[in-house]
Amino acid sequence: MVENPYLPIEAKVEKIIDETPNIKTFVLKPSRKVKFETGQFVQLSIPGIGEAPFTPSSSPYQTEKIEVTIMKAGLLTGKLHEMREGEIVGIRGPYGRGYPFDDFYNKEVLILGGGVGMAPLRSLLLALLENVNRFSRIVLCYGAKSPEDIVYKDAFPEWRKKRKLEILRSVDKAAPGWEETEGLVTVLLDKIEMDLRNSVGIVCGPPIMMKFGTLKLLDLGYKPESIYLSMEKNMSCGLGKCGHCALGKYYVCKDGPVFKYDLIKDIPDIWL
Amino acid sequence: MKFCINKTDWEKFLGQISKTYHIYAPQEVYGELAYQLLAPENVSNAIYDTYRAVQPLKTFFSLPQEKVTVVTPQAEKTIVLGVKNCDLKAVSVMDKIFLEGEFVDPFYKQRRETTLIVSSDCYQPKDTCFCTLLDNNPFPEGGFDLNLSPIDNGFLMEVGSSKGESFIAPIREDLKEAAPDLMEKREKKRKTAKQRVIEVNREFRTEKPFPTVVKEEYASSEWEEAAKTCVECGACTNICPSCYCFFLVDTKDEGKFPKVKFWDSCQHTGFARVAAGVNPRAKLYERLRNRYLCKYEYRPENFGIVACTGCGRCVEACQGKIDKREVIKKLEESKVET
Repeated sequence: MVENPYLPIEAKVEKIIDETPNIKTFVLKPSRKVKFETGQFVQLSIPGIGEAPFTPSSSPYQTEKIEVTIMKAGLLTGKLHEMREGEIVGIRGPYGRGYPFDDFYNKEVLILGGGVGMAPLRSLLLALLENVNRFSRIVLCYGAKSPEDIVYKDAFPEWRKKRKLEILRSVDKAAPGWEETEGLVTVLLDKIEMDLRNSVGIVCGPPIMMKFGTLKLLDLGYKPESIYLSMEKNMSCGLGKCGHCALGKYYVCKDGPVFKYDLIKDIPDIWL
Repeated sequence: MKFCINKTDWEKFLGQISKTYHIYAPQEVYGELAYQLLAPENVSNAIYDTYRAVQPLKTFFSLPQEKVTVVTPQAEKTIVLGVKNCDLKAVSVMDKIFLEGEFVDPFYKQRRETTLIVSSDCYQPKDTCFCTLLDNNPFPEGGFDLNLSPIDNGFLMEVGSSKGESFIAPIREDLKEAAPDLMEKREKKRKTAKQRVIEVNREFRTEKPFPTVVKEEYASSEWEEAAKTCVECGACTNICPSCYCFFLVDTKDEGKFPKVKFWDSCQHTGFARVAAGVNPRAKLYERLRNRYLCKYEYRPENFGIVACTGCGRCVEACQGKIDKREVIKKLEESKVET
């Protein structure tokens, strides 16, 4: 049989977890194992509705099931949010280049995440924790709009117990009971001290946060080649062919979605 | 390998093989040249030389719209006659996209494999042709299975691939090797045609090559100027022989995951739009500029091939009378010295 890269396989929605008022995590069981590297993405589809790219939020070491954390933002994500456990979606992939894990060995890994951008970062964090001895330190700075907009609320207490992992959180607008930082996620960067000669910065979040997060890291002294960005573009085919996710001469679906900043810093308007 | 064959013998051969192949050839339709199916009884209707057909060659390999749910083996074989160099070069870009990299498009691959390309020299370039501005020639230099250069009452036939070689095997014994004087005649005709393209484009010549101008003038206000008459119809991308972008759509047809792929255009507003409506190329001039950057900067960086071959179709198709040559000329002229 000829390989058809456009055709998805079935995946059963095993469980749906409400994360925030507009974000849900879907636990999917594909009909075949979908092995991915952390940071790679998959294409999820609903027949007759559409298809969109999502980066799995689960550990790459968990291969039977894939978790995808999705914010309601448009037609397809709206329909996904209406789905019930037991229903079927289509899945293709994984595609693209994920986080170059080996680059992070023996380094201080700083993770800067915003909103639902925490999804790929949870996958990364779980992978890092699995190999925690290979890294000298892991620092997670996470920001959300408000305390209720924080994803993976139940996971944080567990993560806080982990060796070598430090967690700082901020919300744009605090609510009663919030005892952590109030302000944009970038203010967290002033509260930590990293060994700049031996550290990598990883950023994922909404476009505006990606921009200011990266600029802040540069300000702190990070070199462009030590910053890793997860770029959001309109990945449609996922195969490096349809042209929708162009970023200068790159196609984000095959050359990304994870890029070292120095590779793309000279492309005009990358933050849009 | 170069041979000569007279027109009668070639047409007789075409007549014989038209039972096994669908033969498409440029034929006159309403005063234009269009690829049309060549009926066995009308094989002499094929027009080899003159200029490129209205449709780009890509239409044979990447369909405007197609279901991509199941790959069905294609039994029918196709021959496309009278293909010009601008289209051959453009298909080399399409090949890079659809046949190379980690994933191969099985639909494109199948059509490409079952199609024989018989190119021809372009003897009467149009006023919109500008291949020479991009260092291309109005005659094929590779990328064909066979090339036929009409001379006197026959053709100088050049074999360009093993596919072409097996194709002419049935008549191979009757073919005579091309004599030097025939080669000279071809050279002369080619020179004349090239000279004509150069003449036509004298006023559009830039000091620096087109790709350099486009790259250096990224910030020019001329882009906005050029986009003033653009109506975002997408004709330029549809008619372009190397525009390959498409949209993969989930349909409501029968089947598990019915998917259709159709040509898309980077000139349309929503082409690059992402979740929640964020649009990296929201302005019309940004999209117009993107098309030039794609052709003259990005694809050359990826593949070492300038993805505009100077076929001039976009110049003819544009509803807003935007002439690429003029745009690039103006970009260079408007350059603000720093």
